[in-house]
Amino acid sequence: MANSSGKITKQIACIFGRNCFMPQKSQTIGKYSTSVFPKAETTTYDQPTKERTSLPDYRFVYPEFLPDPNPEFRNKLREKLERLDMLRRRAKISIPEFYVGSILAITVADPNSPSKNNRFVGICIDRIGCGLRASCILRNIVDGHGVEIKYELYNPLLKRIEVLRLEKRLDSTLYYLRDALPQYSTFSFDMEPEPRIEGATIPINPLQVELKPRPWYARWERANLMGVKDVNSHITEKMLKQAAIHEKPWEKFDLMKQYRSTIPEDEQVEIFSEVESQLKEQEVTWQNARRQSKFSRKPIKV
Amino acid sequence: MVIRSSLQITLSCLKVSAGESWKVGTLGTWIQTREMSRVKRRLTHPFAEYLKKTRTKSHEGLTQDNQSFLSEVVRDKYVGQSFPPPEAEPLPLIRVTGSPLKGVPAKAVEWTPRTFRAGLIARNIGVYPLYNKDGRKVMTTLLQVLDNHVIKYISPEEYLQRVGGSKYKGKYPRGVLVVGADGADPRLFTKEYCSLFGPSGVLPKKALSRFLVSPGSELPPGTPLFANHFRVGDYVDVAGKTRDWGFQGVVKRFGFKGSPASHGTTKNHRRGGTIGSGRERARVMPGQKMPGHMGSEHRVHRGIQILRINTKYNVIYVRSTGIPGITNSYVRIFDTLIPTKFPKTAPPFPTYFPEDGVELEEDLYHESLHRFDMPSIDFN
Repeated sequence: MANSSGKITKQIACIFGRNCFMPQKSQTIGKYSTSVFPKAETTTYDQPTKERTSLPDYRFVYPEFLPDPNPEFRNKLREKLERLDMLRRRAKISIPEFYVGSILAITVADPNSPSKNNRFVGICIDRIGCGLRASCILRNIVDGHGVEIKYELYNPLLKRIEVLRLEKRLDSTLYYLRDALPQYSTFSFDMEPEPRIEGATIPINPLQVELKPRPWYARWERANLMGVKDVNSHITEKMLKQAAIHEKPWEKFDLMKQYRSTIPEDEQVEIFSEVESQLKEQEVTWQNARRQSKFSRKPIKV
Repeated sequence: MVIRSSLQITLSCLKVSAGESWKVGTLGTWIQTREMSRVKRRLTHPFAEYLKKTRTKSHEGLTQDNQSFLSEVVRDKYVGQSFPPPEAEPLPLIRVTGSPLKGVPAKAVEWTPRTFRAGLIARNIGVYPLYNKDGRKVMTTLLQVLDNHVIKYISPEEYLQRVGGSKYKGKYPRGVLVVGADGADPRLFTKEYCSLFGPSGVLPKKALSRFLVSPGSELPPGTPLFANHFRVGDYVDVAGKTRDWGFQGVVKRFGFKGSPASHGTTKNHRRGGTIGSGRERARVMPGQKMPGHMGSEHRVHRGIQILRINTKYNVIYVRSTGIPGITNSYVRIFDTLIPTKFPKTAPPFPTYFPEDGVELEEDLYHESLHRFDMPSIDFN
């Protein structure tokens, strides 16, 4: 099942080097991988609202506004022009706050479908790319087959992005769902958006999935996954020993590695203060539109 | 890891001919060399007749007062010009700069598709996607036209004298327009280099280039050149120095297949294999493809379409990701030499002159593009 704005990513075996356990994220969101650091406190939906208006926190809500930290590609003018185009697009479509682990429903314009629209519901397993190239991968199981579709968030074919369930998971990417039991990737296409309090802290789902027996898509025993139950029960002793050899416990102390993969805080403040007022305006507009549509049961129109 | 700053100074004089028939290798003209050519591929030293450009910045022991006095002198000399230009400095959309060609009688030279106009020097600032009206993605490269000014004009007769006997003598007369980009503090350069900019009265430029132009395209020194020199939908050629890959093996350099990774292959996975041509030849033929230096060569990417022009920041968006060079390197843009892509209507000739007090549109788009301020695409 593919459409003009998405791609199917199939299960790929053995494309990684011998010392690598899984694909590297091309863009870090400006925080440490949750699998390396102690897991965050879990919260419920009834928590009191926490003001998330401070500038450094925008890096979680709008991660694609931060440019690729690689200095070879940095140019302030291009980044500024890109941000202007992103804001123009955001005025036409609501790109809501969502995280890896949230369940989204994306509607795209499809010339080949009878209704000229194509709606897909799935769990977000990864957020990739910076600027106008920002995309997300949604996964679901349709007719017994796992389907993943990569959507470019700023593609004008996208008509609507709904967040059905806003939550985070214990890991920064969920590629292990490909090797997990199917119930963890199955979401009904008729799923209704779940109620949530605007502005509340994002709940972290402490779910631990069960993996299917090997062979796997990647060496999950080496990935230090928090969201997987009993990884070691599926692997041999030799694999366990090899995993211990390949561990890099010093990485969490590597300040230079973190510096190279993130934008410094003062630059982040500079970037977000440039776009802050427009983003806030748009937030209010889209919030009102959502409230009206809930009340009148009409779809949001631009 | 080498951090390349955005103010990297590339070569001092990019003396390149617009047409490749002008193959004059000895006078510092670059030619697009390919594999079997015996012409030396790259020069790692500046050409002999070039002026010394930068000066060693030793500690001169100037007092604070003297330093500020020097800054004042420079500012007074170059009234209205600023340096170093901040990376994202917008141009006024309503330009009130008197056109330098005001009062000069308009020449009676008509533009034809075979007329060669001036070109521009731009900086490749990066790549980002735009979309067509049917939703297909188009990757575009952004080329920022930095503070371009005409420095000098050399008439065809004078140029022929310098170049020396050409078989095209008199038949296709070409003058030379020396264009400079990216003005900088004169204190960075030598006195001799700064003197090049005396007649035009502009700040000394970091990048200089020649463009061969046909009669009628000449411009007086000091004329500013803008991104509007080209139009949306026009086809251009973009020339530059490709990225330096260093010493590379045959697999990367020439696309050799190498040998199997396993099945008994011993220490021969990415090697070139046989280099002989048989008993009769009994030698290795010149031009045999072997490992060596790759990249850092002059290349021209032909026939690229301009999809969008931002008049506020003087940025040209071209439909291509294969622009020679890395991000933040200089490139030269000029009208394409591909006849099927010549413009059907006359472009701004000899160049675009901003009319006093007329407001420009900030962004000019190609008609096939989806503007981001349009609503989402709908096939109903």
